Amino acid sequence: MSSKTASTNNIAQARRTVQQLRMEASIERIKVSKASADLMSYCEEHARNDPLLMGIPTSENPSRIRRPAPSYRSSEVDPPSSQQSK
Amino acid sequence: MGTTFLRAGRLCANISVAGGTARGRGGAEVALFLRPAEREEDRPPQPGSQRRRTRRRAGRARGGDWSCAGGGWAPASRPGHRRLLTRIPASLPPRPRAKMAADGLHENETLASLKSEAESLKGKLEEERAKLHDVELHQVAERVEALGQFVMKTRRTLKGHGNKVLCMDWCKDKRRLVSSSQDGKVIVWDSFTTNKEHAVTMPCTWVMACAYAPSGCAIACGGLDNKCSVYPLTFDKNENMAAKKKSVAMHTNYLSACSFTNSDMQILTASGDGTCALWDVESGQLLQSFHGHGADVLCLDLAPSETGNTFVSGGCDKKAMVWDMRSGQCVQAFETHESDINSVRYYPSGDAFASGSDDATCRLYDLRADREVAIYSKESIIFGASSVDFSLSGRLLFAGYNDYTINVWDVLKGSRVSILFGHENRVSTLRVSPDGTAFCSGSWDHTLRVWA
Repeated sequence: MSSKTASTNNIAQARRTVQQLRMEASIERIKVSKASADLMSYCEEHARNDPLLMGIPTSENPSRIRRPAPSYRSSEVDPPSSQQSK
Repeated sequence: MGTTFLRAGRLCANISVAGGTARGRGGAEVALFLRPAEREEDRPPQPGSQRRRTRRRAGRARGGDWSCAGGGWAPASRPGHRRLLTRIPASLPPRPRAKMAADGLHENETLASLKSEAESLKGKLEEERAKLHDVELHQVAERVEALGQFVMKTRRTLKGHGNKVLCMDWCKDKRRLVSSSQDGKVIVWDSFTTNKEHAVTMPCTWVMACAYAPSGCAIACGGLDNKCSVYPLTFDKNENMAAKKKSVAMHTNYLSACSFTNSDMQILTASGDGTCALWDVESGQLLQSFHGHGADVLCLDLAPSETGNTFVSGGCDKKAMVWDMRSGQCVQAFETHESDINSVRYYPSGDAFASGSDDATCRLYDLRADREVAIYSKESIIFGASSVDFSLSGRLLFAGYNDYTINVWDVLKGSRVSILFGHENRVSTLRVSPDGTAFCSGSWDHTLRVWA
């Protein structure tokens, strides 16, 4: 009967579905509280290195307008602290 | 929505659908009678024990009894089957007609029992997930400091595309980026100076995917041509980029997303034909294919390299699936969105991923808890999210929407911290730069904006 091929396909598909679901049902899971705690600790650990989060000063953000850094010459009388005006 | 245009032409390849019904090419549902002895409901639940009929691995049952969800009697939608059974007169020898009928009956039993097993497994999956749902992420995050006001502005506007910008990607040098548009143009920009460094015209329109190679020496792109092509970048002005083009991937429908793996040598692609595939760039050979989505795959993202060889994909079947790149197997699937998933992106630690969908929400799924842990939505947001990306620490989620805005979400608390205006048409693509100092958005208004 012509439906035999169709039903064989259906069975193959259904088998695959069942196998896939079995595999998914059997994985190891952790509690949401633990998972959330881990996500939070990752955020806190890396917050310092996140420029968009912390907001870095314009002078250090390459995407903002950049002026070439002044060259430091040994003959300069100005103290190094004058660089803050950059 | 943007994908509606393309969905009309999609092929539904012969891929298994993780669902309770089998679907043939025509999409007709096949549901069959179950004989009383085989009905799941009639068999008492047996906690932790092996079931005689099903060949499950030992030790798999995770304690607690589970009753099957669904299953039971279903009307036969193929009356021809029943007629075959009743038509066999007792006088006929028991072959070949009766044998065929017996085979048919056997097949139908197997199919029906498989389907009911699928239903019960799905029920069990939900139960197991629910058991571990002891708290919400935003509740745990209450003790975290709230974020202050964010002032992010457009720092650069990249103009030059003649039509909708569909996709963009940053180079690892944190400065260059590649973008592709509906008119077939793919442009490499220097985001600091806004200069165009390279431009190539693809032979097709709607270049929906583009990616920068990790080395910075090549780009990959593709779209309605059903292919993914790699172009080596050269600074020789006399050299025609299009001449060096290499066709790597071949799909049977449009290319929706592509990404290099950790090297220039392999490319991962997602397509409207419902599959993802891993290719070798040099030979163009298919290394692995990933079947399981029931509809067009719209996006993919590779796991951060520390966490191994997996990637996540999202599709028009509302499912996000996590795949093992070596075996081609789907290891986890999540189906909580109410519409097409346009964008998926891994959390920086690799333990979770976010998705943006046409249902106007973004969601966070934790891979180790195996469930959705946060929804980022507001009643006032009714347009789909086309593109999402995390900031470097994972605390912020940037999402571009079809209402021309970009919303910035506090990932842990689930609240919106900022809304950015600037684009004059829907935001189609959004990526944070590799060093996290800025992010770039591309829009149907033909421009890209770099925000910081």
